[in-house]
Formats: sequence, structure tokens, C-alpha cells
Amino acid sequence: MHFFDRHLLAIIVAAPAIAAFIVLLLPEARLAWTRMVSLVGSLVSLIGAIVVAWTYDIGAAGLQRAESFPLVPSLGIELSLAVDGWGVSLLLLTGIIITTGVMASWTLENRAKEFFVLLLLLVAGVLGVFVSQDLFVFFLFYEIAVLPMYLLIGIWGSRGKVEASGPFAFAWKRFDIGGREYAAMKLTLMLLVGSAAILIVIFAMYFEAGGKSFDLSYLGRAQYSRSMQLWAFPLCWLGFGSLAGVFPFHTWSPDGHAAAPTAVSMLHAGVLMKLGAFGVIRVGMMMLPEGAAIWAPWVGGIAVINVLYGAICASHQKDLKYIIAYSSVSHMGIVMLGAATLTIDGWNGAIYQMFAHGMMTGLFFALVGLVYERAHTRWIPDMGGFAKVMPGVAAFFTLAGLSSLGLPGLAGFVAEFLVFLGAWQSAHPWWAIPGILGAWFTAVYVLRAARAIFWGEGPPKDLHELKEAHRTEWVALWALGLCLIVFGCFPRLILDFIHVSTVQYLPLIVKTAAAVAVAP
Amino acid sequence: MELLHVALAVLFVPLGIAGLLMIVAPLRRSGRAAGVLSVLGSLFALAGSLYLFAALFGASGSELDRLTTTWLPHARLGAGRLASPIELGVLLDGISVSMLVVVCFVACMVQIFSLGYMSHEPPADFGRYFTWQSLFLFAMNTLVIAPNLLQLFLGWELVGLASYLLIGFYFRKPSAARAAVKAFWMTKLADMGLIAGLIVLFRETGTFDWTVTTPAATVVTFLLFIAVMGKSAQFPLHVWLPDAMEGPTPVSALLHAATMVAAGVFLIVRADPLFAQAAFTREFMLYIGAFTALFAACIAVVQSDIKKVLAYSTCSQLGYMVAALGAGSQVAGFFHLTTHAFFKALLFLAAGSLIHAVHSNELRQMGGLFSKMKLTSICFIVGALALAGIPGLSGFFSKDLILEVVLARGAYVPLAALLVAAFLTAFYMGRVVLLALFGAPSEAAGHAHESGVSMTLPLVLLSVLALGSGYAGAQLSGLYAEPVHFHLSTIGIVATGLALTGIAVSFWMFGPAKGGAAVQAAFAPLGRVARSGAVDQLYLLGYRRGLRGLAAGAAWFDRYMIDGAINAAAYGTLELGGRLRRLQNGDVQTYLYVVAMAAVLFALAGLVGVG
Repeated sequence: MHFFDRHLLAIIVAAPAIAAFIVLLLPEARLAWTRMVSLVGSLVSLIGAIVVAWTYDIGAAGLQRAESFPLVPSLGIELSLAVDGWGVSLLLLTGIIITTGVMASWTLENRAKEFFVLLLLLVAGVLGVFVSQDLFVFFLFYEIAVLPMYLLIGIWGSRGKVEASGPFAFAWKRFDIGGREYAAMKLTLMLLVGSAAILIVIFAMYFEAGGKSFDLSYLGRAQYSRSMQLWAFPLCWLGFGSLAGVFPFHTWSPDGHAAAPTAVSMLHAGVLMKLGAFGVIRVGMMMLPEGAAIWAPWVGGIAVINVLYGAICASHQKDLKYIIAYSSVSHMGIVMLGAATLTIDGWNGAIYQMFAHGMMTGLFFALVGLVYERAHTRWIPDMGGFAKVMPGVAAFFTLAGLSSLGLPGLAGFVAEFLVFLGAWQSAHPWWAIPGILGAWFTAVYVLRAARAIFWGEGPPKDLHELKEAHRTEWVALWALGLCLIVFGCFPRLILDFIHVSTVQYLPLIVKTAAAVAVAP
Repeated sequence: MELLHVALAVLFVPLGIAGLLMIVAPLRRSGRAAGVLSVLGSLFALAGSLYLFAALFGASGSELDRLTTTWLPHARLGAGRLASPIELGVLLDGISVSMLVVVCFVACMVQIFSLGYMSHEPPADFGRYFTWQSLFLFAMNTLVIAPNLLQLFLGWELVGLASYLLIGFYFRKPSAARAAVKAFWMTKLADMGLIAGLIVLFRETGTFDWTVTTPAATVVTFLLFIAVMGKSAQFPLHVWLPDAMEGPTPVSALLHAATMVAAGVFLIVRADPLFAQAAFTREFMLYIGAFTALFAACIAVVQSDIKKVLAYSTCSQLGYMVAALGAGSQVAGFFHLTTHAFFKALLFLAAGSLIHAVHSNELRQMGGLFSKMKLTSICFIVGALALAGIPGLSGFFSKDLILEVVLARGAYVPLAALLVAAFLTAFYMGRVVLLALFGAPSEAAGHAHESGVSMTLPLVLLSVLALGSGYAGAQLSGLYAEPVHFHLSTIGIVATGLALTGIAVSFWMFGPAKGGAAVQAAFAPLGRVARSGAVDQLYLLGYRRGLRGLAAGAAWFDRYMIDGAINAAAYGTLELGGRLRRLQNGDVQTYLYVVAMAAVLFALAGLVGVG
């Protein structure tokens, strides 16, 4: 017991990886075992995350459960893990999403073994990022999380309809646009460009801080020159931000999420995009506070574009997956907006939005996958009246939609409201206005989609395979749906964790920001 | 019994029932059991609210009790003063408890009525209906007992959700689906004002209290009022309300006449200390309210659908309340809210009973129903007379009070509008009564018969209140700091005269004499304008051309410009790679040739450089 308690964080991170290894050794034909092992691996992480939350001392705040193993002592690289309030909430989110994601992919049969191996590896990477206290290892985990995506989309993906047009139509002839390999390649290349930018910033910080350690708190205490911060922060924003889907580096997201299979979309939009935003805050803003203070107006301004632009683009989509994908672009804008406000409410809201949006979009993609599997189409004009045969799915879709448009009582509202409060307290109150408008646009596209898919007269005759969700799918839907309601009604369950870390981290940055405002 | 415990039970019992029905699908699909459970919940809520109401009269001050709990942690850097956490809770005082009684009573009546009215629905749908009814009761009560504007907003949005779900109850019918979505969009559009108002208030004062004094009051209240215009269907944000009649008639009675649409008025009553600091907002409210009262009354005159007449009448009466609050009288606005809740719920339910009998909303399809359905008809007439403002009935007292405060405010233009609207109200209600209940019976009306007791009992109880609740005005004003005197005034006599004239004109035109063809011809253009729905068309244009156009443009830009540029970059890289590849063609002679040429070039360059 003592061992488990001492190394709980390591166990949480390792569990999916070990499960992946076991699945690798299982024979291909043992599909049921593959699923069970994957489920157990993710459940270990989820339960571990719950234990971490349960035992986290909110009064003491700060980093807890620290443990470290030296990896490359000569360079000061350590596998050092610890968890703060933000980490607690994001671990919980990841645990919930991977568990429900495995359940939602229960019926997948095509090369299921490889699929689960990659999925679990990816999650191990995500969990690692949230608890790493060493920047090098942080980056390592980050890459582990990003790279399996190429195979997951390229092999198990599906295609959408895109026609060549516009001034850049000439480029079409070389690519199979809309296809899954195209989507996978675009996603990977765009995110790798971001990774390269991050790597530059990491090395710049390492050497400027003295080149002794990659420890986050060590790097955080270092005084970086203003000129360095001035170029390093935007690079960092670009690098992590491209994963968070910031405008105009978001275009991998609609194609990627649309092409990806269900569980991959759930994980990618649900937690991976959060890694990006988390990186911008954790590495960009907290390590480079001067840069953050100087560039905050740009970060916020672009976030506002994200919110509105994503929502408006989503309003035009006729492909169900594209709607949800663009809505992720819009909602990640809320996270970035909250971060850019540099206020306590804004940061609380930003982290809470990661949590809330993760579950909401997880639920959305689980439902979309379910509908797609039964209707064999993602094209909304071909749908209608589905509520007659799948009322439960319709109800959960409505629930997810209501959370995304910020209905009180559901998790999305708490996050959005806090971000708006923060925005209005910030140096740029006008940010709140497009933010609020974005929530209205969300109401427009979400409710229209719900009406077009589920309402109206019975489903078209040719769609005869429509049926309700079953067994594990139900579990996934109920779990995510209940989370949306519970965390919407009792936000303090999560927000108290987030709050203690925010009030610990933010004052330093704001002090720097004030100093920057005074200095020429 | 602890009052707070009662209040919490009133709040959470309906929620518990709604949750139970949502989660336990077999119970919901059983239909009847779900309905009975929901009705029991509403009866419990009614009993609890009456208990609280009784406690109100024994209390010394106007505030009975208050309970708050931290909902969100909050801190603000460099401003310890403003760093109190964000709270939710329960506030029991004169305003909230009396509203609670109104809401619970009407909700209870409507649910009992629905047991009969909805009995032909399939059991699963019947259960779903009562699930949403219980959810609505919880949401509305959350709004009513809110101790601050934030909780009021939470309830506000949740009643919007209930409204969306209940309007869309017949979701297989495209028109109902459209109406539900439209109602949600329109009110949500207006609600942006409420969110904005809240965040402005919060930044300035660090709380969501309505008791604070702040220089930002004008901005805040103006933003709040935008949301009120949406929820309480004030011009020009009223267009969703007539469409909302697609929902089942009891829903129209409860949500879209008696309680939910009155939430906007309730917000103003609640936040009166804030509104009192904003003269401009009040002036604006006065004019918007008076205009809406007149405008909607004009449209109501030419509607042929009985529910549409009542819907526009609701818009119009809400206009009265808003105007009263604009004139600065909490009591007048709230009093009219109360009496209107009773008589309008009565009218809708009675109309529902008529619709149930003839299976049509059209006034043409009715006619001569009085002899077939005496009890229902008498109840309907009581409601109509109360709405018309006939002395002795509840509507007279509250409407008279509104006219008095507007007169006392010295606002003559709004006053004139309200007086004309009073005349029109009496006229259109006379028209409805004469067309639906008297005259030659239509074919459908031939088979009509009186409804069962679950439908007539609520009608009778509501009639009693429509008759008598006007006399409670003096007590009601005792709950406020505002002294109000009820006495026979000149303006009351004028209004009564106008109402009687209105009824007389309707009798002349639609009674046995069928006179006034010329007048009807004069109304024809108004009818055309009303039916064309100019305001609606404008929104539709904005939606189709503006919003959809914008979305199409943005989506095109994203796909073909931004993503296009990225594809072009990838294309360029591939092309470049293709060209550069030729340098490495594996031909040794070529390599040698290049090396030799390079050597020569470097040598030359070196020579030039040295030289």
C-alpha cells in the first residue's frame, strides 16, 4: 500500500503504457481481452486520479506528491513528477475521457489491437505532461501524446467531402483533400512545426537560466532578459498554441477531428488540445511573464477571433463532425481568452474550460461516432427525425449542446462565465463582448444541428440500421453526461483545486505585468 | 418548522421528481404514474409556498430569512475589498414569497389540467411532458427565491430551457421544432444583455447584489432591460412569443402567459434598488412598455387563432407591467403581474378546453360553444372580463393602479397609448368571446362536450382568483415600502368607460346584429400588416442574409484561403523538393562536373577577393 501511495503519480502515468504493452503481447484474435486490458489500464489511471484529488491538501496548495528519478544527471534531466491544483483537475479529466473513450470504441474491430496500443500510449503521454515538473520530460511526454495521432487517423479514419475552389485550388491536385491520410499528415506536420518552435524556446530557457537543470521551478525562478522573452513568448505561443487550435494555425483541427475515429476525436479534442493551452500557460506565461504581459493583448485578441470565427465557421458546416470540430476551435478560444486576461477569474475559467470542454466535446464525439456508425453518413441534410429511434442519443446530444452554449447548471457555463468576468476585469474589457456573442452563435449552430438530426418526422427510409446506444456506449454517455451536470451544479468540486494554484501562480505574473506597464 | 427547510423542499422536490423521471425511463414511459407524481410534487410546492406566505404575515420585517452558500471561489488581485466569493442561496421576503405562491399555484393548476388535456398522448410523451413541467417548476422557483442577480440569471436560463423543451414538445412537427429553436435563439440573444449587465456590475461592485449603489447603474440596468425585453416579449424582441403557441396549450398558459414571460417583470421588481438609480432606463422602459401594450393590442384585434389573440394580449399586458415599472412603481407592476397570472392562465386553460373540444385553434371553427360547455364558457368570460378591466374583477384594480402611476409620473404620451390599448383589449376580448362562444355553431362545435373534472376544477379555482385577487392589492402593497392607496379616481372611470365602449363595439360588430362592416373594412389594412409580420421578416432577413451569409463567407475563407494557403505551402515544398531532387540523380559524371565547376568558381571568387 505504501508503495502505491508513494508512487501514485508514476502509476497513473505508467498504467496505460503498461496496458499498451500487455495488449501488444496478446494474440490478435483475443479481442475481448484486448478491450478488458485497455479498460483496466484506463480505470487504474482514473481511480488513481480520483485518489490524488481526494488526498490533495487544498489548504496547503502547491506541488504535492513529488517524486523524482534522475535520467541524465549530466544535463540535469530528471523524471520528476508532482501535482498541483491544475494538475489534479486535468488528471481527472484525462482519466474520465480515456475510460469513456475505450468504452465508446468497444465495437471497433478493424485492427483493434494496434488501435488500443496507440490510444493508450497517447494517453500515457497526456497524463505525463500534466504531472511533469521537468521541462525536458514535459516535452518528451508531449511528443508521445502527439505522434500516435498520425497512425490513428491514417489507419482508422474516415473521409469527408471537400471540393477544390479558391485561389489556391492548384494545390489540390497533389493532395487527396478530405481523405484520412491527408488529414493525418496535415495534423502531424502542423503540430511538428509547433514542436520545433517549442524546442527552441526550451533550449533558450535552459541555457539562459544557467544550463544546470530543466526543473520547472528552477527555470521559473530564473531571470530571463526582456529581449529573449520578447521573441521566446510568441514562439512558445505558436508552438503550443497550434495544438490548442489558435487562429490561423487551427486548420488541422477540422480535417483531423473529422477524419479521426471516435475515441481518437474524443481524446484529441477532449484532452490533447488542452495540452496546447496548458503549455501556453504553464511554460509560456509562467516562465516568461514579461513576454506574456507584453504579448497578452495579442493572445487575447486572437483568442477572441478564435471564439467568434470558430463559431461562425461551424454555423455553415453540413458535416456533423466538422461542426463539432469547429466548435472545439471556438471553445479553445475561450481557454486562451481566459489565459490572456491575466486575472484570477479568467485563469480559473480557462482551466475550468479545459475541464468542461474536455468532457463536453468527449460526449459530442462519442455521440457523433455513434450516429455515424449507425447512419453511415455524417452529412446532416441526409438525416432527420432520429429522435424517434434513438431518443437517448438525442437527449445526450442536446445535453452536450446545452453545455457548449453555456447553459447554467452545466459545466460549460461556469467556465465561460468566469472567463467573461475575468475579461471584463482585465485591461481589455471589450474582449468579453465577442466572447458572449460567440456563446450565442454556439446556440445557433448547436440547436440547428440538433433540430436537423433528431427532430422532425421519422428517419429517412434508407437508414434502417438506426438503433439506440447499447451497453458500454450507454456507460460512456451517462458518465460524461452526469459529469457535465455534477460539475456544472457543484463547480467547487474542481474549481477549489484550480483556484489554489491560480492564486499561487498569478500574482507574480501580474506584478511583472505592472512593472512592464511602468517601464518604457 | 424552519422556514428555510420548507423553502428548500419547495425548490428541490420538483427537481427530484424531474430527475427521477429523467433517469428512471420505465417510470417516465409509464405515463400516468409520471403525471401523478409530478402533480403531487407541484401540490407539495404549493402547500409549502402557502406555509411561507402565512409566515410572512406574522413576521416583523419584510425579510423572513436568508441562506447563502459559496458557489464559486473568487479573488481579485490588489482589491481585497472586492474579493468576496460568489454565492447562491435562498432569500425569503415579501416579493419572493408572494411570487412563489403565484408560480406554484398556477403551475399546480396547469399540471392538474394537463392530466386531462394531455391524456390522449402516448404514455412516453405524456411522461416526458410532466418531466419538463417539474423541471420548469424547479427552474422558476430558483429564479424567484434568488438572493442575488446571478442565481436569478441561472434560473432565468433554465426556464428558457424548459420553454425550449416544452414548445418543442411536438418535435416531430416541423413548425413546432422551428418555434422552439426560434424562441431559444431570440431569448438567448437578449440574454447577452443580462450576462453583460452582470459582469459590469461585478467588476464595479464585486457582488451580484441588487441593493448596491453604483455609478454604473444606468449601464447595468439598461443591459438587464435588454434581456427583459427578450424574456417578457417587449417590442421588438417579441416575435418568438406568438410562435411559441406551437407548444401544448397548458404550456402556453403556464410559461408563455402566467409565469415565465413574467420573469422579466419580476427581475425589474427584484432589482428595483438598481433601477431606481437609473432614470434613463426607467424612461426607456416606460416608452417601450407603453408602445408594446398598444402595438400588441392592435395585432391581437385581427388574429383569427384564439391562442394567437391571447399571445399578443400577453405581450400587451406585459407592456403595461413594464410601463408601470418604468413609471417607478414596484407595486403596480407586481400587482398586475399577479392578477394577470391568474386571469391569463385561466383564459389559456379555458381556451385549451375549447380547443380540446373542437380540435382546432381557429375562431371560425368554434362558435356556439356556450350552450355545449357552460362551465368552461363562464370561466372564459370571467377571465375575459378581468382582462378587459371591468370594475370589481382583478384586472381592473391592477390596470387602474398602473394608469394612475403613469399619470402621476406626468407621462401623457404613454398614458394615452395605455388607454387606447385598454379600449382595444376590451374590444378584442369581446370579439373572441362572441365568435367562439356565441353565434352560429360550426360543424366541429356540434360534437363538443364539457371536459372532465381534472380540466374544469383548475378553471373554477382560477376563476375565483381572477375574480377576487384584486382585493389583495392593499395587502400586497403592505409588503413593499411603497404606500399605495386604492380609491376611485378619474382615470379609473375613464378606463372603465373605454373598456365598456370596447365591449359594446365588439358586440355591435360581432353580436347578432353583425354591424360595422365599414369598421371591419377599416381594420383590413391593419390585418394585412399584422399578418405580414414585418418585424419577423426583418429578423428572418437578418438570419438568412446576414448570419448565414457571414457563416458561408467565413467557412469559405477558412477552407480556401487559410487552409488553402497552408496547402499551397505544402505544395510549394513538394514542388521545390521535386526540382532539387534533380541535383541528386545518381549520375557520377554530373556530380564530378558540378564539383569541378564549383572548384573553378570558388577559385575565381578567391582570386577576385584577394585581388
